[in-house]
Amino acid sequence: MTNRSQFPVPGSQFRAFSPARVWTLATATVTQLVRMKILVFLLVFSAIVVAAGFAFPVMNPEQQLKILKDVSFGALQMFAIVIAIVSTALLLPRDLEDRTLYTILSKPVPRFEYLIGKLLGVLLLIGGGLIVMDAVLSAVLWLRQNMVLAEAIHALEHENSATPENIAAQTAAVAKQGLTWGLHAATLAIFLKSAVVATLALMISCFASSTLFTIVITLCLTIFGHGQQMFRDYFFHGSMSAFGEKIASSLLAIICPDLGLFDIVENIINGIPATMPDLLNMTGMCLVYVVGYMVVAHLLFVEKEL
Amino acid sequence: MPATEATPAVTVENLTKVFKGQFGRKAFVAVRELSFTVQPGEVYGLIGPNGSGKSTTMKVILGLLAPNQGHTQIFGRDSSTVESRQDVGFLPENPYFYKHLTGLETLLFYGRLCGLGGAQLRDRAQEMLNLTGLENAAGRRVGGYSKGMLQRIGLAQALIHEPRLLVLDEPTAGVDPAGSRKIRDLIMAFKDRGITVLVTSHLLEQLQEVCDRIGIMAHGKMVSEGRLDELIAVENQTEIVLEDASPELLARIREMVDTESGKTKLLQMGNPRTTLERLFLKATEDSSDVS
Repeated sequence: MTNRSQFPVPGSQFRAFSPARVWTLATATVTQLVRMKILVFLLVFSAIVVAAGFAFPVMNPEQQLKILKDVSFGALQMFAIVIAIVSTALLLPRDLEDRTLYTILSKPVPRFEYLIGKLLGVLLLIGGGLIVMDAVLSAVLWLRQNMVLAEAIHALEHENSATPENIAAQTAAVAKQGLTWGLHAATLAIFLKSAVVATLALMISCFASSTLFTIVITLCLTIFGHGQQMFRDYFFHGSMSAFGEKIASSLLAIICPDLGLFDIVENIINGIPATMPDLLNMTGMCLVYVVGYMVVAHLLFVEKEL
Repeated sequence: MPATEATPAVTVENLTKVFKGQFGRKAFVAVRELSFTVQPGEVYGLIGPNGSGKSTTMKVILGLLAPNQGHTQIFGRDSSTVESRQDVGFLPENPYFYKHLTGLETLLFYGRLCGLGGAQLRDRAQEMLNLTGLENAAGRRVGGYSKGMLQRIGLAQALIHEPRLLVLDEPTAGVDPAGSRKIRDLIMAFKDRGITVLVTSHLLEQLQEVCDRIGIMAHGKMVSEGRLDELIAVENQTEIVLEDASPELLARIREMVDTESGKTKLLQMGNPRTTLERLFLKATEDSSDVS
């Protein structure tokens, strides 16, 4: 065995917060999830995108591109939300059941660092997955966009109506449904929404008695969160004063995240771009939810008897 | 409180831990008014039947559970503080680690959590693999390890940051006698290096070989505590072990005892028995030599 003196003197270098420890926990979480073959979904997604891109050749060019985006963003959202709920719900209970948590927390690791590390790991995985899927979608969309445009121009030529005006109109129509920067904003919105859902799942797993409980409750809150605006309009609007409605809405938004705030995908698919204030507002709301839920998660976890 | 040479490695003072009953069930007192200290460099065995409060006591010492009453310290630091865990390595009972990591990756992971890194961590991890005899399994995923290998990788991770105190909860549970012997040899080696060891087990024979002091717990209380040799010595008996003694010599000894006036009695004379464990170890070693 080595001489003890070559190692740092215990107690001399402890830091209350260490980004290196958080990063170690985050990367271990990513490795864990990757080796659980969770990213097989990426291959499935790629297959879906390619199939959707070439499956409807009889439709007009704009419809073909719109369907490709509809299907792809549907799969993208599904991936992000499912991974956010299931993988986060698995992490803490599994560490507790396997007693891995004991060996981690008996090292000089504060409990809040453990929570941040786990969440960061899930977000890195979702973020990485979304970037890959966004790239695949962009490539297929760009390819398909050029193909349908060429086919459309060819059709115009065949009909002897390939005037510059017609070609320009066709190009503009295809470009509107083709690859735009707005599509990446839609991917960002999906990431922000999944970050909120993952943090919610982590918070629930801090007091839940089982993984199943965490998944079911988070799923219910996620579904409800998407329809929160509708709920408010139906139950609050007109039944109370403006001030009362605001208070009730705020309370509801605290209990259950208003995920409708992040639903810009449909607009972007229909060619309505997201503005910078929209994106900043979404990012700000995401941060508020993530920080708020993490504070509550910490308060629950720090008191948890292991 | 600043730690000094005289500061105990572990201080447990008036510790009581109650688990609240859920859904109307009665609360359960796992540990009640427990006090003991472990001095630096000694091997302290906490023994007792299942459910006697040993593991709960260890978890409180490690800050995994909060006491309802009393307090615990590690080298003078309140053990509820994260900082105190820099001095501790912990091996839980039946440990599991991330199955997707290899043995080496597991040690690197725990080393990084302790603030180690770079070449120093790699060297240290390799050293721990060699020490625990896992160098050939370093590249295998922990999910495929046997029970004994899991205990040994657990011991390696507990030692990765060179702690001054090792807390071992049932370190030989489920391990075969050869693996169990290896773990005991390691504990002896830690003691020689001045590492304090707090170990729990209900396998008394194993602890007898390694412990300086013993605390016996039952129903959450300390029922007996002291130096092992004092606790197990039978004060009014004397043991003489002879090798190659002739029958005549044995007869003379017997006669001398018989003629001795007073209360002296010969209680037993015959061939001493080896233990089943020693027999097992010898038999398995012999067979491996033959093969």
